[in-house]
Amino acid sequence: MDKKWDMLPSSNEDREKIWAKNRTFAGDVWFRFRHKPTAIGGLVMIVILLLFAFLGPLFTNYSYSTQKLAAVNIPPIMKVYERPDGEGYLHITQGLKLLEVNEDGTLGAQLEKVREESADSMTIYECGGEEVALYYGGSPYVVADPESGVIYPSKTLWNKSYILGTDSLGRDILTRLMYGTRISLMVAFVAAAVNMVIGILFGGIAGYAGGTVDAVMMRIVDIISTIPLTLYVILIMVFLGSGLQSIIIALGTVYWVDMARVVRGQVLSLKAQEFVLAAKTIGSSTKTILFQHLIPNAMGAILVTVTMLIPSAIFMEAFLGYLGIGLQPPLASLGTMCNDASETLRSCPHQLLFPALVICLIMFSFNFVGDGLRDALDPKLKK
Amino acid sequence: MKKKLSVLLAMSVICVAVLAGCGKSEGPKTINDTKKEETKGSGKLAEKQEMTFILNNEPDTIDPNVTSNSFAVPFLVNCFEGLVTYNEEGEIEPGNAEEWKSNEDLTVWTFQLRDGLKWSDGSALTAKDYVYSALRVLTPETTGQYVNMISDYVVNAQEYYDGKVSAEEVGIKAVNDTTLEFTLKAPCPYFVDLVSMWVYFPVQEATIAANGDKWVTKAESYVGNGPFKITEMKTGESMTLEKNENYWGADDVTLEKLTYRYILDTSTSLTAYEGGEVDGVRTVPSSDIARMKAEDTGFKTAPSYGTVYYNFNCSVAPYDNVLVRKALNLAVDRKELINNVAQVDGTPAYSFMAPGYVVDGKDVTEGRSDFDLSETADVEAAKAALAEAGYPNGEGFPVVKLSYYSDDNVKKIAEAIKEMWETNLGIKVEVSSAEWAVFYDAVQSGNYEVAAMGWSADYVNPMSFLPLLYTNDVTNNAFYSNPEYDALVDQIKVEKDSAKFANLVLQADELVSADYPVLGLYYKSNTYLLKDYIEGVYMTSSANIYFKNAKVMEH
Repeated sequence: MDKKWDMLPSSNEDREKIWAKNRTFAGDVWFRFRHKPTAIGGLVMIVILLLFAFLGPLFTNYSYSTQKLAAVNIPPIMKVYERPDGEGYLHITQGLKLLEVNEDGTLGAQLEKVREESADSMTIYECGGEEVALYYGGSPYVVADPESGVIYPSKTLWNKSYILGTDSLGRDILTRLMYGTRISLMVAFVAAAVNMVIGILFGGIAGYAGGTVDAVMMRIVDIISTIPLTLYVILIMVFLGSGLQSIIIALGTVYWVDMARVVRGQVLSLKAQEFVLAAKTIGSSTKTILFQHLIPNAMGAILVTVTMLIPSAIFMEAFLGYLGIGLQPPLASLGTMCNDASETLRSCPHQLLFPALVICLIMFSFNFVGDGLRDALDPKLKK
Repeated sequence: MKKKLSVLLAMSVICVAVLAGCGKSEGPKTINDTKKEETKGSGKLAEKQEMTFILNNEPDTIDPNVTSNSFAVPFLVNCFEGLVTYNEEGEIEPGNAEEWKSNEDLTVWTFQLRDGLKWSDGSALTAKDYVYSALRVLTPETTGQYVNMISDYVVNAQEYYDGKVSAEEVGIKAVNDTTLEFTLKAPCPYFVDLVSMWVYFPVQEATIAANGDKWVTKAESYVGNGPFKITEMKTGESMTLEKNENYWGADDVTLEKLTYRYILDTSTSLTAYEGGEVDGVRTVPSSDIARMKAEDTGFKTAPSYGTVYYNFNCSVAPYDNVLVRKALNLAVDRKELINNVAQVDGTPAYSFMAPGYVVDGKDVTEGRSDFDLSETADVEAAKAALAEAGYPNGEGFPVVKLSYYSDDNVKKIAEAIKEMWETNLGIKVEVSSAEWAVFYDAVQSGNYEVAAMGWSADYVNPMSFLPLLYTNDVTNNAFYSNPEYDALVDQIKVEKDSAKFANLVLQADELVSADYPVLGLYYKSNTYLLKDYIEGVYMTSSANIYFKNAKVMEH
């Protein structure tokens, strides 16, 4: 006989038990974060960019400063013409010279110019004992037989020596991108770390102390945030000389104001709560209250601010680099690469495309992660 | 759903872009198939004699007495005219002065002005205006940047500048309304070349008395005496010049209206030019020079009397050592720099002095030695020279501080030279850049080691170059000193016989360049863009661009 109608055993433990899956705060945040595709995509992208920037240089054959002046401004996809002797191809460079391209797509030497026949709009080059003509009278320019005017068969080839092409000094763009990304990320992380320390301390103290101290400290923040950053950076450069350290110092000393405001606001609202009163009652020191109780509770807002701050620091660095204040050559950051490329924009757009693309990727990733974190940390959005 | 759609859209755009780049193209078979159709003009004048020319830099001022800025040239030489001017062949021809003569020992020069010269406002222009203008330059308050071009030559000019003598004692006199007389401190065979400079141009006393320094900022008060006058000024945007009916040669001026537009970005101006929006551009971006030249769409090259070189600070170690300078000179591949880096029209330079001054049909630099340098780098010889100087394989050589000024091309060259020195000599090089003003200040005060420089002659005479290495000259930024050379230059200054002059110049050049006081890179040429339907525009080797003979043809 079954006892379908009997009462179930009931203990206190069973009644108090939360039957829903129990998660820690961090686990809860992670759960919500990983269920947001854009956020997880951003995170994966950041990891890939980090690998690209820090491990990538191990796999290239070039350093960021190696120049090959014979192969300047070569695109990643080249239009090539067959050599008359059939031993590879010829590519017309942006400077209207002929460059040897091997069968496998690697680059050879520049051909020797023999003479100029401006009347026929031809430049004659010597190629393996024979003469070939670069004809520039029409559009597009072609490589042809100087006698008959027959154009050699052409096709497009991937550049195997330089996968993303070369810049105006014949340096590998891929390698420079890796170093550029490394510098941009480094600037971002250092700036973020400095900002976190200064911002949390400053904002925390201002918020907790309140009154006159708060008023004075926040006016300092107001003053700093009214100085245009570009002006400030230029002034710093005058004193410290241009270079990576100046940019980091400039960003580090200015960007913390947002963080300070956020932390102050959080501390102001948290310090009126009972647990702070309790801590005060049992005689905890100000330091303990601030760092053990208030800051950890404000961590959510702090994390979001930091992840939002990183892309703006990267963008600022790129912007300063683009203006030409910043790193000294041959060091490259994404901004200086864009700047260098803007001059040759018309003839070699790929030089601008790649660094700009990487800047976009970095900005997107960090913004997505920041967005995801904000949603995940916000208890109001809890499902 | 919306999000997915947009992602899909973005992906497909990228795919299309990538795919479009690949694949075999079915192109033309022979070069004849690619030829463009040629359009020939009818050879008749166009109805509208108007043109627009883009300037890529704004001058600091367009006061001929004040500026030494080459960006002001398009205004100065077209709104003013000096005693002499240049013709299309780059030779001196009469301007305001009909004829001129000098005394036997070349110290007194008399210029006979044309009759009936007028300012653009219609009032009469006399020799007194020339005297007024020169004295204005010699007044410290004018802050004339070329003041030494007068004060170094004319009797009592420096003394007047220092306030020691009165205006009457200065060696510039108006004998009568049409006769002007200059008395010089020392014989000067090339004085006519000097007076072609705009610092000797006349300015009108009336407008300056009425408007003060602001006379250059308003079209109405900018009174000149050249073939054109400014009728509209929009600062930072454009300047409109119209034919000056009061110019003595107005009958030969065909162009009615010339508009200068400022577009600072050279790529943007090229777009405007290729789009047919404007008729000419002053500066061509170097990465497009090869293409513009090939496509033959109005790319103009004018020989330039100028050199691009790097200064060594010869007063500091280790650059005071001639072997070090020789090694650095030998380690540079000038051919690569010209062809692949700067991509300019230029010839390799081994000396600071550019060719371009012709005496008796022969360039004064003809037959000059190449000082053991060649267009490609000679790594072995460079290393040997450095080892001889006490730095085998670059060991113990201090880090070279190479400074340059903010400019795309200058930057590229500096980076390429850095790499050449580092790989060829095994030394370390540190580059740093600054704005031109800051940079030039440091160079002038000797606060540098190696610096990117260049020199364009102010007037077509080797004397424009020679002082660059003369001991303690203001332009001697290399801080080089060689008594033998100084003595030769002193001799050249007063040499009246042109053949002997040429000989001495070559001698001085060979003497000094064998010491490698500078790192010569290339002799430049001036380039600009001008549509083929505009005729008669010419540029001299000192980069003066003249529009007075311009004609717009039917197109």
